[in-house]
Formats: sequence, structure tokens, C-alpha cells
Amino acid sequence: MINIFLEDDNINVKVPKDKSLRYVATKTGASMEFGCRVGDCLTCIAKVKSGMQYLNDKNEKEIRALEILASDVSGLRLMCQCSVKADEGEIVISYGF
Amino acid sequence: MLGEITKVTESVNFIGAFDPQIRTFDIIMKTANGSSYNSYLVRGSEGVAVMDTVKKEFSEDFFNALERLCEYDEIKYIVLHHLEPDHSGALIELMEKAPNAELIISGRAVMMLKGLIKRDIPFEVANTGKIISLGDKTIEFLSTPFLHWPDTMSSYLHEDKILFSGDVFGSHYYDERLFDDKVGDFSYAFKYYYDHIMRPFKQYVRQALKLYAQFDIDIIAPLHGPILRSNPQYYLDKYAQWSSEEKFRKHEFGQKMISVFYMSSYDNTQEMAKKIMEGADLVEGVVASMYDLASLDERNMIDLLEESDAIIVGSPTINGDAVKPAWDLLSCMAYLESGGKIGASFGSYGWTGEAPEMLHDRMRWLKFRLPVSPLKIKLIPTDEELKACVLFGQEVAEITMGKMVEMEI
Ligand SMILES: Cc1cc2nc3c(=O)[nH]c(=O)nc-3n(C[C@H](O)[C@H](O)[C@H](O)COP(=O)(O)O)c2cc1C
Ligand code: FES
Repeated sequence: MINIFLEDDNINVKVPKDKSLRYVATKTGASMEFGCRVGDCLTCIAKVKSGMQYLNDKNEKEIRALEILASDVSGLRLMCQCSVKADEGEIVISYGF
Repeated sequence: MLGEITKVTESVNFIGAFDPQIRTFDIIMKTANGSSYNSYLVRGSEGVAVMDTVKKEFSEDFFNALERLCEYDEIKYIVLHHLEPDHSGALIELMEKAPNAELIISGRAVMMLKGLIKRDIPFEVANTGKIISLGDKTIEFLSTPFLHWPDTMSSYLHEDKILFSGDVFGSHYYDERLFDDKVGDFSYAFKYYYDHIMRPFKQYVRQALKLYAQFDIDIIAPLHGPILRSNPQYYLDKYAQWSSEEKFRKHEFGQKMISVFYMSSYDNTQEMAKKIMEGADLVEGVVASMYDLASLDERNMIDLLEESDAIIVGSPTINGDAVKPAWDLLSCMAYLESGGKIGASFGSYGWTGEAPEMLHDRMRWLKFRLPVSPLKIKLIPTDEELKACVLFGQEVAEITMGKMVEMEI
């Protein structure tokens, strides 16, 4: 299980490997926002404050979408494109960053 | 005969269109005397910038005005402060006519452009700080997203001290005298527009006001209604006041408000509501109150929802559904920010009991935080069940006061 702290909601949740952040949002009732859910609309942008290495790598679509938004995208992810890729670790996420 | 073209300053002209006939705007808003689709032409020593276009049906007025002020090949930039159809309606035709023009949109508009225009057109992206030059005129861009479309941006014309604010500071108010010091009393329309269009995005209004504050603004040129030049600070202050974070209660006593809304036919859901409120009120720093949806006006619903840090909604299950006033209550969230508010649902039921789950799901879509599962009780609550209601209220209140939620999924 990996530990995810959703800073804005003050939720600390243990999540098994391979679960998506959408699943995490639904199960915890977190206020993370989603729009299109397919990486187009940028609604679900969030800052991964630590533990980026425990998430899946960005896909082509996400890289392109983020590039349009800002020149410095370090730490930024589209939550609808993210899932947990490790058994252990600590991730801190802020969507109202 | 063609009328005079309105000058905003020596180098900026109004080239928008008037729509005195429109009575309902964007499905959700009424207008008593019509509106306008404002568009502006900025002339510099090295070319022209067109700031937004108009609704498609009004293209003729727009092109007529534009053609009297410049040649198409002088247009260097077309700026769309957001892509909503009432401002992008003449874009394609304008791009076809103006061969040298570069389209400027915000980053968030990129994904939308194709959805609206249905073809590939070249564009340049502007984020905060981007500057374009027309020789002796300088336009600086500001990213002011979600006001009220995700892709909204604003811009500032330095030499003329004009803020092109997009839909921010707009009013659906038709008056060809156009300037705030010349038109009739549009204050109701200015507030009404804020309440319906900007209020759901208060935190973004506050961010935008911070960006605007760095500029010395003589004129605010919005995309609907009067141009604000008599005292721009007055309108900036109004927006600051309306979008302020301070709530009545919090402001005075530093407390959190929890509102329990319910409806009940045989008092069962009402009994639950009383106990939930009692539980919530046990928590220090919380003021819990309950309201019977049977006698609450929409206006009051909106204000109560806005003031509340947590909203607990109860409905009996009637014919497999929650009752209409409960849905009406949640529909009012369209006028408010919900991000971050805590939600919970409950209700008494007879045999199927869908209502609390349905309200919970609806609140999920409305972006509430939903830390506790819905509470359902079959018919008349027992003493044990009423105790569970107290604990339910208490749990919601503690989380509202900042208790960390620990869970495993
Ligand atoms: C006031 C207003 C608010 C809107 N809010 C949203 C929104 O929250 N999410 C969304 O996906 N589209 C939103 N839109 C965009 C509309 O859904 C879109 O323009 C749609 O194509 C309109 O469809 P219609 O032509 O059937 O009215 C909004 C449009 C307006 C005018
Ligand atoms: S929800 Fe649209 S990009 Fe993720």
C-alpha cells in the first residue's frame, strides 16, 4: 500500500498499486475536480509536491497538454492520467496549489 | 446612413454590435432591454489589433464599423479574450479577410478552439506577461481563467491605460450611449451579471483583481454593456467586496457554519435532522442550524449554501427518488463555488431507500468533499439509530473543523 496525502482535503489514504487517482478521488470523496477525464481539458491539473516517482510516467497526451499551459511544468500532473505504480512510498498532492 | 463610430480614446474605437431584442442570455439570464457584444479596434503606429469579435448574426455591424476604420491588411493581431460564441462568431470570416493577422488566445483556449471552429487555424498563445506591440502601442496579457470560461484572459493597453477585461465587469444592458457616465442606471444589471456569471468563480475573481491591481486603469472595456470610465476603481471595489472570502459568521466569530437541510412528511427524516444538528453542534467552533426545505426560498438557499462550510441534506425516498426541493437546493450550487465544501446526506425510507445515495452522488458531481457515507434509516428511527445520527453529525463537524480523514481503499 502507498500512502497518499491529499493536502487540500486533509485526507490521508492508503492505496494499493495500480489504482488510478480517479478511483482514489471517488473512494475518498475528495474535492479533486475532473472534466473530460481523457487529458484534454486540463481541469484536473494538480501539483505533486512529493512522490512523483511513485506515479506512472506521463503519456504523450499529458506532456503536450501541460506544455501548452505553462513553461515550467515540473511537479504538475493531470490527475485523470495518473495511477499509482509502487507498493510503498508517500505521495503528497495539492490540487488547489 | 451610417452613424458615428464611438471613440473610446484617440486610438481605440468601439466596433461591437447592439442587440436590443435579446431577452434571455445563455439560457440562464434575463435581460430587460437587450445587450451588446463589445469589440474594440486598437490602432498603433505599426498596425491594428482587433479585440474580440461579435455573435455571428451581428457580423455585418462589426465588419461595417471595422472597414470604416482600417484596411484588412493593416490588422496585425486578433485577440480573443475567451472563445465563447458571442465573441468569436465573426472570427473565421475575419481571419479570411485579414491575411496578416495573428490570432492570439490563451493556453486553455487551445483545446477548445477546434471544438468551436471545426478546422485548423494558426494561433499564438498568450500567458501572463506576454506583450505585443503595435509600434507606439503596447498590449500586455494577463491570465484570468474561469471568468467565466476556463480560457478567459484579460489584457492591458499601456499607453491608453485601458483594461480589456473580457466578460469580467460586463452587464447585459443595452444602451448605445455606451459609457457609464452617459447611460441609464445599469447598476442592477452589473450586479445581476456578477451574481449569475462570476459568483461561482469567486476565488478566480480575487486572483484576477490582484493582477489588475498592478496597473493604473483609466478605462475598463468589458465585452458586454457599458464601458466603465467615470471611476473604474468603483467597479473594481464592488467586485472585491462581492468576491471577498469573508463570510458573515466567520468574519465575526471565527466559527464554521454547518447547515442541515431536510424535508419530511411523517417527521422521520426531521427527527434524524434534529439529532444530526445536535451532534454537529457538540463540536467546538461549529454553529449548526437546520432548515426545512418546504419553506425556503431560492434566494435564501443560495445565501445559506454560500455561508455554510458543510451542507448536510436529508430527504425521504419517495417513488424511488429524493424530493424535488432537495434537488432544487443542490441546483443552486450552479451559482456558487463548491470546491472544498463538505457534503453529507441522510434520510428515512420505507423499502428501497435510494434518496441519500442519489444526493451523495449529485454532490460528488458538484465537487463537494464527501468524507462520510450516506446515513439511511428504515421508517421510524430507534433510540440506537438516533444516537448514530448524533455521531454522524459530530463526525461531519469534526472533519469540518480540520480533523484529518484516515482511510484505506
Ligand atoms: C454560462 C455558461 C456556462 C457554461 N458552463 C459550462 C461548464 O461548466 N462545463 C462545460 O463543459 N461547458 C460549459 N459551457 C459551455 C456550453 O456547454 C457549450 O457552449 C455548449 O456547446 C452549449 O450548447 P447549446 O448550443 O446546446 O446551448 C457553458 C456555457 C455558458 C454560456
Ligand atoms: S479531466 Fe480533463 S484533463 Fe483531466
